Amino acid sequence: MNNAFRHWMAAALLAALSAYAAAASLDLGRIFDVGRDLRTAAVGLDEKDEIAVGREVAGRTLGAAHLVPDPALQAYVNRVGRWIAMQTERPDLPWHFGVLDTPSVNAFAAPGGYVLITRGLYEMLSSESQLAGVLGHEIGHIVQRHHVKVMQQSAAVSAGARAAHRGDRGILVNNLIGTGAEVMARGLDKGAEFEADRIGVVLAARAGYSPYGLVEVLHLLAARSADDSSLALLFKTHPAPGERLTQLGDALAPRVAVLPAGQDPAIRQVDPKTPPPAAAKPTAVEGARALQQQEEGGTTIPSGGSPLPGGGSGILRGIFGR
Amino acid sequence: MFRMLLALAWLAAGSAAAQQVTLERDSPLYAEPRLDSAQVTQLKLGATGEVVGKQGAWLNLKTAAGSGWLFSFNVRFPSAQAGTGDSGAGATAGRLFGSRRNVSVTSTIGIRGIEEEDLKEASFNAEQMKLLESYAATRQAAEQRARGSGLSPVSVEYMDAKK
Repeated sequence: MNNAFRHWMAAALLAALSAYAAAASLDLGRIFDVGRDLRTAAVGLDEKDEIAVGREVAGRTLGAAHLVPDPALQAYVNRVGRWIAMQTERPDLPWHFGVLDTPSVNAFAAPGGYVLITRGLYEMLSSESQLAGVLGHEIGHIVQRHHVKVMQQSAAVSAGARAAHRGDRGILVNNLIGTGAEVMARGLDKGAEFEADRIGVVLAARAGYSPYGLVEVLHLLAARSADDSSLALLFKTHPAPGERLTQLGDALAPRVAVLPAGQDPAIRQVDPKTPPPAAAKPTAVEGARALQQQEEGGTTIPSGGSPLPGGGSGILRGIFGR
Repeated sequence: MFRMLLALAWLAAGSAAAQQVTLERDSPLYAEPRLDSAQVTQLKLGATGEVVGKQGAWLNLKTAAGSGWLFSFNVRFPSAQAGTGDSGAGATAGRLFGSRRNVSVTSTIGIRGIEEEDLKEASFNAEQMKLLESYAATRQAAEQRARGSGLSPVSVEYMDAKK
């Protein structure tokens, strides 16, 4: 080996060492992740951690609202959801889907494959394509690890904390999640929501559905009154549906000619024998009774309101739905 | 047959209420539901039209300036008015896209749903988690059901946001 080569070797080694040192001083976190797969290294959690975090968050959310007591419905949503998840890069996560027994209109994704949709939203839907769009949006959050990235940014999860709790997944998980299931009420940035909308459309199309189910749902949401309390949390944690439609329309415009038309199977209804969602804290009983009468074809006008043009929302709703 | 029934239902309900929508932005009205089809006219932001049909991402619209097809992203449906008892989606959007069932009983007034405080205070429910896990579908079961419903996987690329 000649001298020149030896010098070259030494210089290269020195360069490599100093690069390593620079990296270490800039980002201690990355050093702890050496040896983990490169994709999860970026967010500092491996897939097992991600699933453990998601299971905890989903279990806590189930503490706030139970599942609709309709096993056939839950099995159906799992089959639809799994089929859509199979069209992603993470088909083998432990995917779980559930319908929550609450009148609120919302859907939640927890890391690692947990998707929960509320009965309030489910009962607004008129086709399996619409369900596919909603589930596709939530699956998009999970595939892109949107929530994990947000948790990771929180101060509680320093590289030091992770090092200290190495081997104790329980402490790590609690550090990440915080109190209760508040992470579900925190919301993501607008960019993540718009991205999940674009993914939702694509996944529905990949699964063989009409790609436009999610678009229809956004139109339905946009037409809901802004002061409708059942949408309060959804509207707090997501950009306005109108803004989502504009963003999605702009992204979709160049693709409408090539997207397949897809199928639009009927959606499974909640078993009619299932009682309405239990009121967590019933308030204005009169209002509920008025709605009940309206449902039964009565002509009661809810207090403070005026009759609907055209003879009531029940008649107007859903002509093209099924 | 199914489509015919839909069309009939649409006609039957045609007189119940006007299907009015408002343009969210300036937009061409096309002769057919395709971006490369001939333009009937150029509609302005705030213009209104009556929806007489839909197809995929398109709405068939009757306007003062002519009839044609409009990219559905470019319109907004009238929103439900608070206190009218229209607790579902706005009537027009609901009629086009909404559930056929009257679901007002599960809606807003008098029944309180899951809210931020509920989530903050929530603790892990092991029993419900066990139930959730019991409903999981295998890949095989999911695929079998999908194929049985006439669904086949299609290759579709992810899309970018508008640059």
